[in-house]
Amino acid sequence: MAIEKIPSPVTGIVWKQLVQVGEQLAEGDTLYLVESMKMEIPVTMPRDGRVTALLVKEEDSVAENQDVAEIE
Amino acid sequence: MKEPEALLELEARRAAAREMGGADAVAKWHSKGRMTARERIEAFCDAGSFNELGMLTGKGRYTADGHLQDFTPASSVIGNGNVEGRGLMVVADDFTLRGGSSEGAVAEKWIYAERMALEFRMPLVRFVDSVGGSVKILEQAGRTKIPGYALWPSTALMGAVPVASVAFGACVGLGAIRAIGAHFSVMVKGQAQVFAAGPPVVKQGLGHDIGKEELGGHQLCTQVSGAIHNVAEDEHDALSQVRRFLSYLPGNAWETPPRRVTGDDPKRREPALNTLVPDNPRRIYAARKIVEAVCDTSSLFEIAPGFGASLRTYLARLDGHAVGVMLGDPAVMGGALTRAAAQKMERFVDLCDNFHLPIVNLVDQPGAMIGLDAERAGTLLAAAKAGAAIEQASVPWISIVVRRAFGLAGSMLGPWNGPNGTSLNHRFAWPSARWGSIPIEGGVAAAYKREIEAAPDPLARRQELEAYYQRLSSPFRTAEAFGVVDIIEPADTRALLCRWARDAARLTQTQLGPKRRSLR
Repeated sequence: MAIEKIPSPVTGIVWKQLVQVGEQLAEGDTLYLVESMKMEIPVTMPRDGRVTALLVKEEDSVAENQDVAEIE
Repeated sequence: MKEPEALLELEARRAAAREMGGADAVAKWHSKGRMTARERIEAFCDAGSFNELGMLTGKGRYTADGHLQDFTPASSVIGNGNVEGRGLMVVADDFTLRGGSSEGAVAEKWIYAERMALEFRMPLVRFVDSVGGSVKILEQAGRTKIPGYALWPSTALMGAVPVASVAFGACVGLGAIRAIGAHFSVMVKGQAQVFAAGPPVVKQGLGHDIGKEELGGHQLCTQVSGAIHNVAEDEHDALSQVRRFLSYLPGNAWETPPRRVTGDDPKRREPALNTLVPDNPRRIYAARKIVEAVCDTSSLFEIAPGFGASLRTYLARLDGHAVGVMLGDPAVMGGALTRAAAQKMERFVDLCDNFHLPIVNLVDQPGAMIGLDAERAGTLLAAAKAGAAIEQASVPWISIVVRRAFGLAGSMLGPWNGPNGTSLNHRFAWPSARWGSIPIEGGVAAAYKREIEAAPDPLARRQELEAYYQRLSSPFRTAEAFGVVDIIEPADTRALLCRWARDAARLTQTQLGPKRRSLR
């Protein structure tokens, strides 16, 4: 299956990384919580899939639409 | 009895008009899964209600001795029809005639339809499907002209009657403006593109290779630029969205929106709302559940769901009365007022104010979006304009602070003075509400910087100070000073709003007519 990159929906700081590379996840599962405007905004799976890469770590700054993970 | 010759000619010319671009062009059009201009009108209007005007407009070719050889109709179909029994004007571009371009158009015809909508105070619906200008009109006219249409009342219409548009296919140049310049616009997914100029012109002018969908498809128009409000899955979906939109609106600015009794109990309690907002202020929640719970069953129609979605905007009903609803959505950009959300707010408030739709504002507003990208985007200017739209609104308004109301954007929960300086500022809150000029977390860190740094345990000192200020910011303390009319049990929100909607509908009957606004 093709690799799909997952963008952050928001500019902010990676507050929690909730999964590891290799995990099989379902649509809607949360990969990261990004802190923005004092809120925890989840980065979620757009479909069922397996995490093949995590591109940012906790306390990294991320921009809106920056890719933060890859899934297949 | 033999028909007079003139009647036969009339019928022959009408038949030619009904053929549009000809059987081959229509068959090719159908093979792409598209309806013709006439089929779209038929699918849109109440059965048998459409009364076509200007059917004889077009170009006749004549023999040397002056007999009609053939007739090519103008590339738009206009007329008046009904939707749910109410009259409106329709202008539909016919792509089978030279791509709906200016080459095959007779401008007087479509402009007449728009002027008639203005004069007869009827909603205007545009079905846009036009590749725009054609250089061949130079040859036809034998001269160029300064661009523009002297008699087109495009701006006056927007203050007087509801204007809706469907982008069915290519909407280029003038076609793009006609699609965008509406109170509600919808484009057909994968089939419509809206841009100033298409890929060939972009290639020539800028050297960029870009596809038409990327340049002006639904993702760009409804999620990035906001030029078009909604996306439709297909042509019928687009038509039904326009019908739905119009169902909330009056026929013009001199009438009140029609009431539709839905049978939903106006006093219905929703206990689930009492626990919807999480105690942890950092946690998001499904804000849409609030509007679904408080509005009449199946009455929600979301406008521009993909654009500036930290603010959600709906047309809805409360005990049958049409209202506009704004809702802060913390799941998108933390609920911040982005440039896009501010532009969306300004347009939505203007729409509601124009057509006497009382506004319900369900507030969860952390403030205007911050950071370099937001500053560069012009967020503050857009927010200021949205604030001005709110201040200029004279339609009845109620705000309920669901959670946060902070900073400049938090102050924009309703008119403070209103255009007459007498706005009631009718505002309520849920017990989960918190507000202030600045949020406590950042505010404490800034105001007590030295004290926190000097403390033996800086983190503990900061948390202690924050806890102290959190207790001070209980909404009940604000209520003691009547800073808010009431703090309500969330389960009772519908009852409060329905009661208000009845009073608001009565008030709007005394406020009819177009609104005057100053520059913003």
